[in-house]
Amino acid sequence: MRTTKEEKLALYKKMLTVRAFEEKTGELFAQNLIPGFIHLSIGEEASSVGTCSVLREDDYVASTHRGHGHLIAKGADPKRMFAELFGRKTGYCKGKGGSMHIADFSLGILGANGVVGGGFPIIIGAGLSIKLRKTGQVGVVFFGDGAANRGTFHEAANMAAIWKLPVIFVCENNLYASTTPAAYSLAGGSIAGRASAYGIPGYVVNGNDILEVRKIVGKAVKQAREGNGPSIVENKTYRFRGHFEGDPQRYRTKNEIEDFKRKHDPIQLFNAALAKEGTLTEKLDKDLRDEVTTLIEEAVRYGQDQPLPQPEEALEDLYTNP
Amino acid sequence: MFELKIPKLGLTMEEAKLVSWQYSSGDEVKKDDPIFIIETDKVTYEVPAPSDGIIHPVAKTGETYPVEETVGYLAESREEYELLIQEHPSGAGAVEEMAPLKEKKPVAEKAPPGAVPPGRRIKASPLARKMASSHGLNLAEIKGTGPGARIIREDVERALEQREGAAEEEPIPRAADKGFPGKKARETMPITGIRRAIFDNMFMSLSRTAQLSLHTEACAEALVGLRDRLNKQVRGEELRFSFNAILVKIAATALRGHPRINASVDGDEIKVWEQIHIGVAMESEDALLVPVVRNPDLKSIREINRELNELIIKTRENRLLPDDLANGTFTISNLGFADIDHFTPILRPPESALLGVGRIVEKPVVKEGEILSQAMLSLSLTFDHRIIDGAPAARFLKAVKDIVEDPLLMIV
Amino acid sequence: MTERIISCSDALAEALGEEMERDETIFIIGEDLTAHDGIFGQFKGLNARFPGRVIDTPISETCIVGAGVGAALTGMRPLVDLHFADFFPTAMDEITNQTAKIRYMFGGQAKIPIVIWAPDGGGLSAAAQHSQSLESWFIHTPGLKVVVPSEPADVKGLIKSAIRDDNPVVFFQHKKLFAQTGPVPEGEYLIPLGKGDIKRHGTDITIITYSRMTYFCLEAAEQLKKEGIEAEIIDLRTLKPLDFDLIATSIQKTFHALVVHEACLTGGFGAEIAARIGEELFDYLDAPVMRIGAKDVPIPFSPVLERYVLPQVEDVVEGAKRVLNRQP
Repeated sequence: MRTTKEEKLALYKKMLTVRAFEEKTGELFAQNLIPGFIHLSIGEEASSVGTCSVLREDDYVASTHRGHGHLIAKGADPKRMFAELFGRKTGYCKGKGGSMHIADFSLGILGANGVVGGGFPIIIGAGLSIKLRKTGQVGVVFFGDGAANRGTFHEAANMAAIWKLPVIFVCENNLYASTTPAAYSLAGGSIAGRASAYGIPGYVVNGNDILEVRKIVGKAVKQAREGNGPSIVENKTYRFRGHFEGDPQRYRTKNEIEDFKRKHDPIQLFNAALAKEGTLTEKLDKDLRDEVTTLIEEAVRYGQDQPLPQPEEALEDLYTNP
Repeated sequence: MFELKIPKLGLTMEEAKLVSWQYSSGDEVKKDDPIFIIETDKVTYEVPAPSDGIIHPVAKTGETYPVEETVGYLAESREEYELLIQEHPSGAGAVEEMAPLKEKKPVAEKAPPGAVPPGRRIKASPLARKMASSHGLNLAEIKGTGPGARIIREDVERALEQREGAAEEEPIPRAADKGFPGKKARETMPITGIRRAIFDNMFMSLSRTAQLSLHTEACAEALVGLRDRLNKQVRGEELRFSFNAILVKIAATALRGHPRINASVDGDEIKVWEQIHIGVAMESEDALLVPVVRNPDLKSIREINRELNELIIKTRENRLLPDDLANGTFTISNLGFADIDHFTPILRPPESALLGVGRIVEKPVVKEGEILSQAMLSLSLTFDHRIIDGAPAARFLKAVKDIVEDPLLMIV
Repeated sequence: MTERIISCSDALAEALGEEMERDETIFIIGEDLTAHDGIFGQFKGLNARFPGRVIDTPISETCIVGAGVGAALTGMRPLVDLHFADFFPTAMDEITNQTAKIRYMFGGQAKIPIVIWAPDGGGLSAAAQHSQSLESWFIHTPGLKVVVPSEPADVKGLIKSAIRDDNPVVFFQHKKLFAQTGPVPEGEYLIPLGKGDIKRHGTDITIITYSRMTYFCLEAAEQLKKEGIEAEIIDLRTLKPLDFDLIATSIQKTFHALVVHEACLTGGFGAEIAARIGEELFDYLDAPVMRIGAKDVPIPFSPVLERYVLPQVEDVVEGAKRVLNRQP
């Protein structure tokens, strides 16, 4: 896969945007400005941005509770995302979903699901519909190492395989499902390895190398779009924050976290690579970062300025009107 | 056509509160039916219809009107009534203020106000239905105050009260709960009318006078003997002699000999009264009334007894007029029926003395070194020390005691 | 028996510790139990005290419940932690078709002494899939018992009885009550299943409730008291089997009833209770039985919306006054 210089800078900027969005969200949450719970994907930017960068705008994505990165990578507007996080009526879900349930169906995002493994059956439905409509779209379901053990994963992999559905199972294996290490709960030790049980390709990817992610996911997408069925892509990555903001994280050591931050930060890695090849200068880097900072700050302001919904609006949107 | 006015029930009466109308505009009434109830600070009175006719209340209940003020009309024919209601629009909310009728007079065959037209379903809570059915009440005759005019428990309870007078016990047994730590009123009554008058007067008496009480005991053998002899002669319709009648005469006699006890404070002056009028405390409904026997010093015990009995009947039937209660100069209060011995009755201003009578009871008494069993009577005297000193009060009480022990002193 | 003030979370840990000490066939199974001793610290110290008897699982609810059923059929007494009541649906077949029906289908040959436990309830902006009160579904499934305590002493007494019961028990604890403290007797303390509790004596209206709403009703009762209304508050504690005698005795005294639950109104447990009261206590009702529940929508995220949807103290006050025919 060829990626031009411009494209690389765009990818880099996108990763910065995701990172900035998540950090800002963490800050706002700590100030009690965002209600409920949030699950940040800091450290996983290569996986979300890389994956979505090889998709068409009309391709589907089923996201997870840790989905802010997926949304932004697929093209969602940080302004409307913040509006939703602040519970405003002009947020993506009119304030009814919050962090765990953000969606933008106009971008093919079939929603973030709060039930782990809830996305599998949904993407099967999307894949089937694509096949029936013959649109050439594909569907990606993001999931974590924990979800790979849900019955829904196995039922979905099986069904996608037998029907050669145009779907890609993209696992963001960050080594922990809440407090439980994959090392303990993942029989066979490999999610990509499960693909062979269903007779489909499985790929293990360095999930922190964005170009690598693009290459492999790109391959899987091509296969799906050409009608040759699903694949499982296992992006090995790491989340720098806890399962949720406020997680005491007693299941992993500070050393481990620091180690990954130092050695496996996808943004740092891409920055180094781009600098090495001369695409990214220090000034350009600074400019991009400033642009991103401004973008996020404006988005926050936008979100905060939005009106709250009227209480009675809680009763709306239950059914569609004919 | 009759004008219905506030009647003058006593010489000094100037106004009365219109408590309730017993009928609504357009109802037919018979002569002497009680058509509205008024209240002064002394009595509650049911005003009778002056003639047969159709009533048209005008004045609002709960308001006070002067004596002779027109509060309604009685038309003698339907045509007259139609004219009346146009000329005099009613301000009376007649249907809401139905007051309980004291006497059990059946209200003819017409449907009571608020009744449901035949054929319409009556709305009532299940509890209310059960209560009405177990007490033989007709739901059609009960007005409902629940949502949509539904008849609820309190409506049935009200109907029961109207029928039987104050309910002694709850019309439906309610599960009791010994775990409940708070307190809830089982009955709430406003302090109005006669109760208000007693309420204020009792407090005023204790705070404005310097009263105290003396106690003594008299040998009642002669008194008991006198009453027995008098009652042996009772014939025909004449009512039996009461101790109170004799005691009124005894007190009157004693007062003649000690006129300064029969006195009042009037501003900066003490007035020692020429006439003696002795009130006897009586219980009515749930209030204290003190009708007055006039000039007993000039009457025989027989006359006093007859007068006292009439007053008792009037009290029971709620027919006392303000004039029956006015101008007393001395009061007797007898609690002997409840085994009370000595007590400290409260003065009734402007009176300055009150005799409290306890029970007559057989007791061991020492006479000249020997122990005898004798009927003894407790006597208590409360007096106003501002104008009557201790010694004169004591002498008066001693005089009463002497006459009790030797009734012949009444004719000496 | 002395009493100390501890939280619902500590009460649960204490009770389970005592039970696990007493009976070695008892174990706990579920997700994320050992690292933080349960998401609300409700299994504090148990993993350390009873190694091997607090078992972490992959995210596989069908098999988590399935593991509980198989173990219960073969001599164990498992407590299955399903993490959130909202995840019960992921194992609905195992709970309603297997756990609830096996004994009946095999003619009484087997028993399933399982407790399926989870936090439930809303009020934290956790949105539609993490805020539900789903007790109705399980009350409606013959073969299951359903327990929902409100205060720490009840948590302790009831979890012990639930574990010792040879039947399947679905046990919910409101998320917002884990930190709630209250007096708890030390040592052996059992509350029988199927017995409610009068949390406040009154004379004018019977308020029937459970879980977090119990506290809302108590607060409402203080406001009602100022207007001369003394409410009697019944905390059901066990929803199935229902302590109808307690309800009956109360209504025979107050003649008025209001049911309050956080679950949504339509088809909520209040509907069942109101129907039974109408059938069995008809002649004691001076007004229709009313119910307070959440509005019939999924729980929304934004706090202003969530507050509108979930029942609040003022809804209880208004409901009580309407039953008593007083102006709100």
